[in-house]
Amino acid sequence: MNFKLFFKHRATELSLTIIFVVGFALLVATSGGVLLTRQSLQGFLTYLAVPIVIGMAQMVVLAIGQMNLAVGAMGGVSAAIMAVLMADHHLPIWLALLIGFLSATAVGAINGALVVITQLNGFIITLGTMTILLGFQYRLVRTFTVDSYPKSLPDFGNKNILGFPLILVIAFVTSVLLSLFFSRTVTGRQVLATGGNHIAARLSGISNGRSVFIAHTLSGSLVGIAAIITISSLPGINRSIGGDWMLASFAAPIIGGVLMAGGTVAVFGTVVAAGVVRLVDIARAQYSLDPSIVSLTVGIVVLSTVALSEWRRRSSQRALEGKKDAK
Amino acid sequence: MSTELRVEKVSKSFPGVNALNEVNLTLKGGSVHALLGENGAGKSTLIKIITGVYRADSGSLKTNGEEKFFESPVEATHAGIAVVHQERNLIPEFSIEENITLHNPPTRLGIVDQSERTRMAKEALQTLGFEIDLQERVKNLSVAQMQLVEIAKALVTHAKIILLDEPTASITNAETVKLFKVIKNLKDSGSAILFVSHKLEEVYEICDTVTVLRDGESILQSQPLENYKQSEVVDAMVGRHLTDRKVELREVNRNVMPVLELVDVQTALGHEKISFSLYPGEILGMYGLVGAGRSELARSVLGLHKITSGEVKLNGQVVHIKTLRDALHIHHIGYVTENRKEEGLFLTFPVRKNISITVLSRILQKLGIISFQKEDAISSKYVERLGIKVVDNNQLAGTLSGGNQQKVSVAKWLAAETNILIIDEPTVGVDVRTKASFHELIIELANTGLSIILISSDLPEMITIADRILVMRDYELVDNIHNIKDYPTISRAVMTAIHPV
Repeated sequence: MNFKLFFKHRATELSLTIIFVVGFALLVATSGGVLLTRQSLQGFLTYLAVPIVIGMAQMVVLAIGQMNLAVGAMGGVSAAIMAVLMADHHLPIWLALLIGFLSATAVGAINGALVVITQLNGFIITLGTMTILLGFQYRLVRTFTVDSYPKSLPDFGNKNILGFPLILVIAFVTSVLLSLFFSRTVTGRQVLATGGNHIAARLSGISNGRSVFIAHTLSGSLVGIAAIITISSLPGINRSIGGDWMLASFAAPIIGGVLMAGGTVAVFGTVVAAGVVRLVDIARAQYSLDPSIVSLTVGIVVLSTVALSEWRRRSSQRALEGKKDAK
Repeated sequence: MSTELRVEKVSKSFPGVNALNEVNLTLKGGSVHALLGENGAGKSTLIKIITGVYRADSGSLKTNGEEKFFESPVEATHAGIAVVHQERNLIPEFSIEENITLHNPPTRLGIVDQSERTRMAKEALQTLGFEIDLQERVKNLSVAQMQLVEIAKALVTHAKIILLDEPTASITNAETVKLFKVIKNLKDSGSAILFVSHKLEEVYEICDTVTVLRDGESILQSQPLENYKQSEVVDAMVGRHLTDRKVELREVNRNVMPVLELVDVQTALGHEKISFSLYPGEILGMYGLVGAGRSELARSVLGLHKITSGEVKLNGQVVHIKTLRDALHIHHIGYVTENRKEEGLFLTFPVRKNISITVLSRILQKLGIISFQKEDAISSKYVERLGIKVVDNNQLAGTLSGGNQQKVSVAKWLAAETNILIIDEPTVGVDVRTKASFHELIIELANTGLSIILISSDLPEMITIADRILVMRDYELVDNIHNIKDYPTISRAVMTAIHPV
């Protein structure tokens, strides 16, 4: 095993882990240990699940070099469908959740199909679906908060497994499966190949259209999972659900080391980055800072991460160019 | 004082390649100078040095007596040098007049003077005898029209030194006639003109003096063209070099069913009546100038462009290959592309994943999971076989040197174990050592029974490794030469096929 190479490839993940550990320790120390109480730890971990899963939802689309702007709107609608089906139509919980999950998946599939058919960039297509879905979400819940669903759902959301919130375990399992998908399955590799170099992928006998469709559909399914987590951990669903997901969904993978240009995923990096963002949130609550501080900090971190990785890419490129034909 | 540009002992090397070696060239006002040479002889590099795109390693450049290399293309423009590059340098979304005046748009009070701009563009186009709506966007033009806009862009600067890199490669005969009239006018008004072309008939029609480059050296230096016959110029271009290289004739049995046969194939891209056969274990060369339609033919066979009539047979069976996917997985034909870094490599993938991408379905274990063990085995095998220098298989392809990247992209096709491999320009931009090892590899592959179509613009390379050479010109096959691997005989035969005297 080549350790130097290992550290070089994992530089982002490693530094993020260090930042997370140090940040966490600092918060514990300055709060006099309050963060370590059962209740605040539970809160920290529970609300980490959604950022992780929506980060994954964005990551799979970034992997093909595109963006999914509709992550928030898809999640909002999916959660709203679940809530309305349970509260107004009295569907069993499992059926309502399944229908909500499938709708998010279907919207993802529609995004993918539209990108493939129209040959437009995912940015434009998902901008369109986002707008449509926001209108739909409003029609579903109007200005109300839907919360009259069976008590067993919040119970499910509060379950613990070996001291960890069940929903966080779901997020972790999803991440592990996704990591396996990209490294160990033919389809996952082909999706990444499309993102890495679509001409080379085509010449290697890969269908780029199929890759794009799969990435967007998968993104939809992940949003569906995020919606299930949301509805089982929040007291009610209203039209604001999903409204703050978009920045968060980009922040985690980008800070975590995923390239905007496509061809890479960084599941572990995205998970840790979601944790770091969550720490900023906690710090705000701890020191009663203005909420705008969080947006500001996350924004600055995203910009500097992107600038740093671009600078790193260029300097390694230059080092390489020195050895090669200038053409 | 009359216009003069003097290049003296200019050398330029890229790592591993000596692009130019003490090249001399003199352009004089009132004269058209031909710059000739095979692909890769160094013509474009020389032009890029004159115009400040590249920096020379040594030597000097004198413009009208002043000795100075230009630091940038802008400086060269200010010194009165205009260039029409081989590759397009137009902005597709801009109008024709915006493009023509792009270097130096006329302004009044800091605002672009639209009527002056129109006047300037109109004047430049009028000299060319080219009438078109100046407001039309360049992206809507034909290739030939773009070429003319490019030339107008050079004219509008009122440069006294004009470098034309293959200006007639993509324009019609009628347009060429007009262009030559313009060149003559410019010459009569005292401009110095450099004319690069592969079309010798044109060179003899318009040029006064000639410089021939071969492998980065000036073989003929600023000689009067009338002193040389066309055949002598061809000899100077191809040379009689590399005779010391060991070449062996290979035995290819052509009394069996061809693995691939094309009968009267016509494509949507304009290929006409293409017929040839490829036999098991044969290396079939496809030679021609850039733009002769060789890669396009290969891509048509692979299903990337439409074949409009004729038959493609694999092992005697007529087939219709619709996608590259079918070509690879059903018909077992691989295609090693020319732009290997841009089209053949996944820079964000480790070497291991780059090589396995064509064979993923063959290295699965239970539940459709890729077996890392099998993946490592297959990638190590080809890393070793091609002598790819890596720290380990997990090194990212983007961090390898150019030559090793080339090898990685070839490796994935070897791993795919195809029956037919089409290799496009295998050694463009690789150094001498890698080149030789590529040649050995190709011959070795053919010896194991793989049938290879080799597309190359490098004549010595072709003569060294091909068993037969198909010569292509203007989307037609013009000759099918049995390669006896005798350089003078074969190079003459090939050049005669390309430039019929």
